[in-house]
Amino acid sequence: MNTSETPQNVHEQIVTLLPRLRRFARNLTRNPHDADDVVQIALERALTRLDQWHRDARLDSWMFKIVRNAWIDELRSRTRRDKVFLAAEAGDNIGTDSMAREADLLSVQSAMARLPEDQREAVSLVLIEGLPYREAAEVLDVPIGTLTSRLARGREALQALLGTEGETP
Amino acid sequence: MTISDETLMAYADGELDAAARAAVESAMQSDPQIEKRLARHRALRLKVQTAYAAELSEPIPERLLTAARGLSNQPRGNVVNLQEARAAAECSAPRAASRRPSWRSTGALAASLVVGVAVGFFMWGRSQSPLELGPGGALVARGPLARALSNQLASEQSPASAVRIEVSYLAKSGEYCRTFSLSGEASPSGLACRHGDEWRVETLGRGAAAGDSEYRTAGSELPAWILKSVEGQIVGEPLDQAGEKAARDRGWKSIAP
Repeated sequence: MNTSETPQNVHEQIVTLLPRLRRFARNLTRNPHDADDVVQIALERALTRLDQWHRDARLDSWMFKIVRNAWIDELRSRTRRDKVFLAAEAGDNIGTDSMAREADLLSVQSAMARLPEDQREAVSLVLIEGLPYREAAEVLDVPIGTLTSRLARGREALQALLGTEGETP
Repeated sequence: MTISDETLMAYADGELDAAARAAVESAMQSDPQIEKRLARHRALRLKVQTAYAAELSEPIPERLLTAARGLSNQPRGNVVNLQEARAAAECSAPRAASRRPSWRSTGALAASLVVGVAVGFFMWGRSQSPLELGPGGALVARGPLARALSNQLASEQSPASAVRIEVSYLAKSGEYCRTFSLSGEASPSGLACRHGDEWRVETLGRGAAAGDSEYRTAGSELPAWILKSVEGQIVGEPLDQAGEKAARDRGWKSIAP
C-alpha cells in the first residue's frame, strides 16, 4: 500500500478521474450504458486492490487498465452466455461508404467507432486521454512498437474517414 | 533526409527526445513537405481532442461517485458481469437506478447530446452547460438557454444576446416549441419544446453558421435539418409577434391537441 496517500485521498483522486474513465469506457464499449456499468465494476475492483497500486505508477493508467480488463471479462462472459452477438468488427467498413460527407460533429465519434478495436484503444489512450506511449502500451499490455504501429494505422484510418477536413490549408 | 510518418506522429505527440526533435526540425527547414505532413498529424490530434472534450463536463452518475468513494453500504466485490452489476445497482440503490438516464431509450438524442454539449461547451464554459440530461433521459435546457427560451421574443432580441430565437410555433403535441441558436463560433442550433415546466431539447446540432453551405436553406438562417423537424411538427403557421407574446404571457402552457 502506498503509505503517503491516505485511502480517502486516493478515493478522491479516483473521483476526479471519473470523467476520463467514462470517456475511455465509451470508446471501448461504444455504448454509454455499458460504459458506465464497466466503470462501476472497475471502481469496485480497484477499491479492493488499492494495495496493488504503487505510488510510482500513474493512477490514471492503472485505472484505465482495470476498466479495460473489466470490459474484456464482460465480453468473455457474454460470449459464454451466448446471449449477445457482438457486432462484426466495424473496421471492415472503412472506406466503403461516404459517411464522412455528413460532415457533422458526430463524424469524429462515428469515425472512431469504425476503427478496429486495437486501433481505437491506442487512439483513445494517446490522443484523447493524453497518455504517453509508454503508459498506453502498459495499459494495453503490448510492446511500445505495437502501440505506435496501431496508433499510426488508427490515425491513417481516421484521416481517411474524416476526409481532408483535418488538414490545414 | 526522409522522416518516417511514425516519427512525425511521435513528434506531434511530444514523444521524441531532443536529438530526434532537432533532426525533424532541421529536415523541415529543407523540405516544406515535412511541415505539411506534420500539420496533418497535429490537425487530426486537435480535432479528435476537441470532439471528445465536452464529455469531461458531463455530470457523473451518483452510483459511480458512490462506487469511487467506496461508500456503498452493500459492498459487492464479486460482481463479474454487467447483468449482475445492473441488478445489484437496482437493488442497492433503487432511487439512483430509476433516475439514471436511460441512454438506450433515448438513442439518437443521447448521441446528439454529446455533439450538442460539445459545441456548446466552448462558449458556455464548464460551470454553465446550457443542457442537462433530465430524468428519463430527456435533454433539458438550463441557465441562459432556458431563460431565453422562456422570455425572449423573436421580434425583440438584442443582436448581442447569447441565444437567438428564430421561430416559435404550436406543435401537434399541443406543446409550444421554439428553435434557437447559440452564439459563438461553433454556433449550435436546436429545437426545444415546452414540457411541463421545462424546455426539452428535441433536436440539436451544429448550426448553419458553422459553414456548411449544403445545410443552409436560401433565405433562412435555420439549418435545413431543423426546418425539417419544424415542418413535421407544426400546426398551422409559426407564431407571429402577438401570438408569441401571448404564449409567453401564459407561460408557454401547452394546449390540448
